[in-house]
Amino acid sequence: MNLYFHQFWRLFSQYIKIEFANLERLISALLFSCTLLIMFVFAQEVTEPSAVQGYYISQSLLTAMFALQISFARALEPDTQDGVFDQIRSMSISRGAWFWAKYGVVIITGGMILIPTLAIAAFFQTDARVELLTVDMVIIDLIALLGLGAVGVLLSTMMLGSGTRQILYPILYFPLTTPVLISAVEANKMSLIDGATLGTLMNSWLGLLIIFDIVYITAGFLLFGELVGSD
Amino acid sequence: MLEKSDSRGFAVGGALIVLLLGAWAFGIFATPTDAAQGEVYRIIYLHVPAAISAFGAAYVLLIASVISIWKKSENSGYWGKASAEFGLGLTVITLATGSIWGYPTWGVWWTWDARITTTFLLALLFGGYILLYDSMPQGSRRDRACGVLGILIAVDVPIIYKSVTWWRTLHQPPSILREGGSTMEPEMLRALGFSFVALLLFSLWGIWVRANNLKLARAIELESYKSFKE
Repeated sequence: MNLYFHQFWRLFSQYIKIEFANLERLISALLFSCTLLIMFVFAQEVTEPSAVQGYYISQSLLTAMFALQISFARALEPDTQDGVFDQIRSMSISRGAWFWAKYGVVIITGGMILIPTLAIAAFFQTDARVELLTVDMVIIDLIALLGLGAVGVLLSTMMLGSGTRQILYPILYFPLTTPVLISAVEANKMSLIDGATLGTLMNSWLGLLIIFDIVYITAGFLLFGELVGSD
Repeated sequence: MLEKSDSRGFAVGGALIVLLLGAWAFGIFATPTDAAQGEVYRIIYLHVPAAISAFGAAYVLLIASVISIWKKSENSGYWGKASAEFGLGLTVITLATGSIWGYPTWGVWWTWDARITTTFLLALLFGGYILLYDSMPQGSRRDRACGVLGILIAVDVPIIYKSVTWWRTLHQPPSILREGGSTMEPEMLRALGFSFVALLLFSLWGIWVRANNLKLARAIELESYKSFKE
């Protein structure tokens, strides 16, 4: 167990260093978010407060999903450089520890894209009549991120040997994450528009969202080892 | 010159096509007209069996994927590809027939309803599987990557099935497997069951034939490499 944690920590800290040595991946995703949100806001007309909240939920989540996809698609890029991937594979490193390290970094960078996207989307709405960015909404979206991140890691690992990954990634990412997205949108609507608490939501959409998260994280953990196994 | 196994395969395929045509003829000519929908309802004898057979193809894909990962069997990759191709075809038939039925009934060719959307996503996933399979070179890495995707695709099937009860939707809730029994006329139900069995058997046979053809194509490819080297 100690060795497992040690391996996880070494990989995780290395990945974090690589990730923050060059902020291009984070900044490009955030710039993409801003551009998309500006287009949404210009296309939208001023309407009822509940409609503004509905717009906010759909725009922010859609933008975050696309921005996260850009980041996740390149999740294994550092590993493929200088033969790092093959070196790690050839060592007796636990595949589970490798998955958690990669997943941990993806969740941290994903959170750094998701939370600013939610804040920028709320700022761009410029509607003082309604409350948009709430703590409950951030919690729901972070829970959604857990499932999205697991699919993201799995897909980017799956597509390492594919020559068409730029086309394939969005084709597969969107349908696979739809259950998570629909649950997150519905939970956000009930929280923001109907005023439901997280406790109430646990018996409906939030509960379903957590079930999807568990399915995807379990699938990611179990199948990652198979994907990175020796040829 | 046909081999004995080929002749047997043709005979089974011919019999299944006759069975399928018979089932549809039974549905079209021997069942009563629906009181509310008129003649257009008869499209269900293709629509519902195609949808369930597409789910069947997803589960064949799941079994092939698990075997591919667990047993590292190359043959299961061919079964996976064949079931994804059939799954895509059947899903497209489901969406097309649903659309043809939807226009006179709902007044629109297409709507972003939960079940239609999730079925469309299943078609995208089958298409994605085929793209992934074709974009990678033959080998264990491709088998593993496609195997993982095959397992994830199978997760989508229960979501599609439950979508009409989980989400507010235009698509009607289950009318056959439901509490209190089916709401359909017994004759209609018999014809639907007959069409379903016929299309499911035909699809399974088609997947088997296609998997064998893929295996054969690979063997021919390897032989041609060998003769080229010599």
